[in-house]
Amino acid sequence: MSLSWLHMSIIIFFISGALFAAAPFIASMLLATRAKSPALYSPYECGMDPYGSAWTKFGINYYFYALLFLAFDVDVLFLFPVATAYADGAGLVPFVKLFIFIVILLASVIFFWKKGVFTWPKRIRF
Amino acid sequence: MNPPFGIPPELFTILLALGLLAGFVGLNGLVLVYLERKVAGHIQRRPGPFEVGPHGILQPLADALKLVGKQLITPRGADKWLFWTAPIISFAPVFVLFLPIPFGPVLTAMEMDLGLLLILAFAGINVLALCLAGWSSENKWSLLGAARAVAQSVAYEIPLLLAVLAIAFQFGSLNLSTIVSGQGAWPWQWNIMVQPVAFFIYFVCALAETNRAPFDLPEAESELTAGFHTEYSGMGFGIFFLAEYANMIVVCAVATALFLGGWNGPAAPGVWWFLVKVYLLLLVMMWFRWTYPRVRFDQLLNLSWKWLLPLALINLLVTLVLVKI
Repeated sequence: MSLSWLHMSIIIFFISGALFAAAPFIASMLLATRAKSPALYSPYECGMDPYGSAWTKFGINYYFYALLFLAFDVDVLFLFPVATAYADGAGLVPFVKLFIFIVILLASVIFFWKKGVFTWPKRIRF
Repeated sequence: MNPPFGIPPELFTILLALGLLAGFVGLNGLVLVYLERKVAGHIQRRPGPFEVGPHGILQPLADALKLVGKQLITPRGADKWLFWTAPIISFAPVFVLFLPIPFGPVLTAMEMDLGLLLILAFAGINVLALCLAGWSSENKWSLLGAARAVAQSVAYEIPLLLAVLAIAFQFGSLNLSTIVSGQGAWPWQWNIMVQPVAFFIYFVCALAETNRAPFDLPEAESELTAGFHTEYSGMGFGIFFLAEYANMIVVCAVATALFLGGWNGPAAPGVWWFLVKVYLLLLVMMWFRWTYPRVRFDQLLNLSWKWLLPLALINLLVTLVLVKI
């Protein structure tokens, strides 16, 4: 597959976005002051010396939301190609098919709601 | 227009659009900083910036110069490479987001059939940048801010997609120019009249996706210092800010194109109508910030999953019925 102007424009725009963001950093490197002090490089923790590393285990409450997102995002993505062709479809068949698809999506929301995924603090029953 | 030096005309258009966009994004950053501070000031019955230039109009320029003149500090424990790539990744997709937006009848950088999908796809890259910024700082506030940023964008992406899909189903197209030309000049011929629920959902989700108040939890200053950009000072912070303002323009531009008639207007359709509508929406966003208190995080997530998502699905179903009738 050869590159069309569309692909070229996306690539050019993306790279120039990165360059546009990098330019002020270079200006900053040339212009900015250069102070040195051990306190300057310490991570901010309300003025204290940091207690332990930030790269530790911490409870991600959002794990189930992320899983839900994955499921929904893939499903919703299927609807985009359908959207362009839906109006051309003859009769009620396209509507019935989409109706089933969307009602299942809706039912899954209700299912997770009943399971307690949306209740804080987390109490998920399986 | 004949391009000089034998450059292919397509390339010339791309480069011209790129130059205009770069100017627009940079200028827009300055305008929005000024506007935001003035709106905040006047809502709180104070004048806002007033010292630099007449009515403080040169304040954003002074701020930008100050940011450039600040030292780039990498915190001690930070992952150096990720720490400095994060702001660049956050800004990199911004120009691509503007690529399919129809500013005027002919003023579109690149006509494409999948414009809407392109915007939605590249808008997702910003989350990655916030996640990297929060993780690589090795700061607890940043890490919590990043976790929130990811959960939030993920939650509001789905209702946003569904609201946009309602319009896509109605027009049978993902081309923004087609959708704009399908709307009339007067406000009652715009999509917001046919799809008020979709517009409501879109706007709430847009606020959440751009981390604007009342959904600015990833950078909630009273609980997380500055959230994911706690460790960024000077230009690092500046670029995140510029990207955020550019993203605000993009969501407002898409809202204008999809729901508010784009460049259509009662007299002389053109780019001015588009800009007027976009900046009015931006003013509404700023107004929201000083009107509503910040929501709690579980409220934020549940608002999306319990209310907006079912509402968007039902709205889509109703649209499907209406398209077929």
